Amino acid sequence: MTDLTAQELGAEALAPDDPAWNAAEAVRVPLVPVPVDAQPNAYIRAAWHDRSYGATPSASVAVATHGDRLFVRLEWDGSGPVAGEFPDACAVLFPAGDGPDTPVTMGDHASPVEVWQWRDRLPVQEAIPAVRHLVSTGPGMFRPGAADADLAAAATVDGTRWSVVLAGPRSALGAPARVAVAVWNGANEERAGIGAVSDEWAAVQA
Amino acid sequence: MTEQGAAGQLAMVFDLNKCMGCQTCSVACKVLWTREEGEEHHWWMSVNTQPGLGTPKGWEDMGGGWRDGTPVPGHQPTRAEFGGGWEFNHQEVLFGGRGRDTHLQPVDRGDGTTRWGMNWDEDQGGGTYPNSYYFYLPRLCNHCTHPVCVSACPSGAMYKRHEDGIVLRDEAVCQGARFCMEACPYKKISFNYVRGVSQHCIACFPRLEEGVAPACARQCPGRLVFVGDAADPAGPIHRLVHEWKVALPLHEEYGTGPNIFYVPPLSPYRLHDDFSIDEETPRIPPEYLESLFGPRVHAALDTLRDEMARVRAGGTSELLDTLIVYRWHDLFGPYTVDPASLDRSPERVAVQLGRARVGATEGE
Ligand code: SF4
Ligand code: SF4
Repeated sequence: MTDLTAQELGAEALAPDDPAWNAAEAVRVPLVPVPVDAQPNAYIRAAWHDRSYGATPSASVAVATHGDRLFVRLEWDGSGPVAGEFPDACAVLFPAGDGPDTPVTMGDHASPVEVWQWRDRLPVQEAIPAVRHLVSTGPGMFRPGAADADLAAAATVDGTRWSVVLAGPRSALGAPARVAVAVWNGANEERAGIGAVSDEWAAVQA
Repeated sequence: MTEQGAAGQLAMVFDLNKCMGCQTCSVACKVLWTREEGEEHHWWMSVNTQPGLGTPKGWEDMGGGWRDGTPVPGHQPTRAEFGGGWEFNHQEVLFGGRGRDTHLQPVDRGDGTTRWGMNWDEDQGGGTYPNSYYFYLPRLCNHCTHPVCVSACPSGAMYKRHEDGIVLRDEAVCQGARFCMEACPYKKISFNYVRGVSQHCIACFPRLEEGVAPACARQCPGRLVFVGDAADPAGPIHRLVHEWKVALPLHEEYGTGPNIFYVPPLSPYRLHDDFSIDEETPRIPPEYLESLFGPRVHAALDTLRDEMARVRAGGTSELLDTLIVYRWHDLFGPYTVDPASLDRSPERVAVQLGRARVGATEGE
């Protein structure tokens, strides 16, 4: 199992290029496509069974805390700022319960997953929050999570390389503390369960 | 295929022989439902000249629907394929001192949206002089019996309402994944880019709940849109669809069980090269109508022609009397309430909005 160490930063570090991140250890997390057979309905399985997706091989993940806030920084190669119908996006996943069997592929009905999802936005989409709190019961089976989750995100992009920090309550880390990440390549029309996700839960040492 | 059983099923019949392409239905819908930011290019009700590429551009070639119980992958129509929703250069022409060297026109943002729009190919039609032909085809969500859009949504945001079979979306749950847009073979779902949610015709359900017909039907000056429950044996829709069999679904082969039906258009006879009348051949090619309404269209047109001949010969026709619609309210089944007669006080509207929200939650 991949191990991540949550570094106490001594300050809020929402900006991806905040020097405080120098103290945090970035770990390469392998990503795999969410299997097409696991997709939640026959339409999505039929539409994607012969299409390539989730090809992003890995993301660099760093975890930090400050007080009761948790910060997760993801860096990966995507398609760059949104130019077509779908944006690049990323998410941090937490098992919503403490069962050992929560599928890393965005949970299932018995073992839901909390999702903090960031999406790139078109200029006309400024009113849409950059980060959404979702509860997932399967690949892409997202429903709105608690509206008062107090999430925040900040992103920078250099060409196609994204650096995104997602921040939220530290209490999202359960016991044992585990996270996974997901990324979606917008230029390949990836969204919902069509994307790349960690190959296993990573343990977080807080 | 998911069987979406409903206690009732709202249905509509459009008599294309009376549609004059005036767009009152589409504008009535626009004014009522899609005036907000992000909805500029939405036409939940659209009227297109046929033959044509339609709205969105080339929708009949975009896939979707069901085949042998399996969903068919479809294309998600792009913003450019819908076109429209333009901003005009009012500032430049009216106030920018350029009124003499440019003209009022949509601002081209390089995204293709100024090169198409609802009924863009309005004045083309088919055939060549003197046998040119065209007719109008109003289209809205078919509130299908097997709504592939509902089946394709991973979030469970869409549902088919039990009491009247209309297909709705809880926009608070919609994540904007747009699989519904791909899966719908009629391409009657639009995306609201500003709010990040998909949207489509809601069959004017807040009106239906007050006994008022949908705006497209009630505003139609051609008085050609029947509204009611498809299964009501006493209603005109049941008789037009199931007894006389003159009202047909559009592209039944898409497999979704549409609940909007059309009386196909008759047309004058073709002219020979010497301008004499070819009394064997209607101007609108029957094979073109078959491509839209299926092989039953020929029998439907025969029935219409036979009934017209009977009346011309001095007889009577219950079918033609029904299609003529002597009394306007006969179109609307149980939905004859005048919306102007409703109590629209803020208190009453608040109660209605609350009910609409409860309805959305119950249907999930
Ligand atoms: S017309 Fe399209 S959007 Fe409407 S119910 Fe049928 S499949 Fe769904
Ligand atoms: S309002 Fe009636 S006549 Fe006018 S375009 Fe619509 S359906 Fe046709």
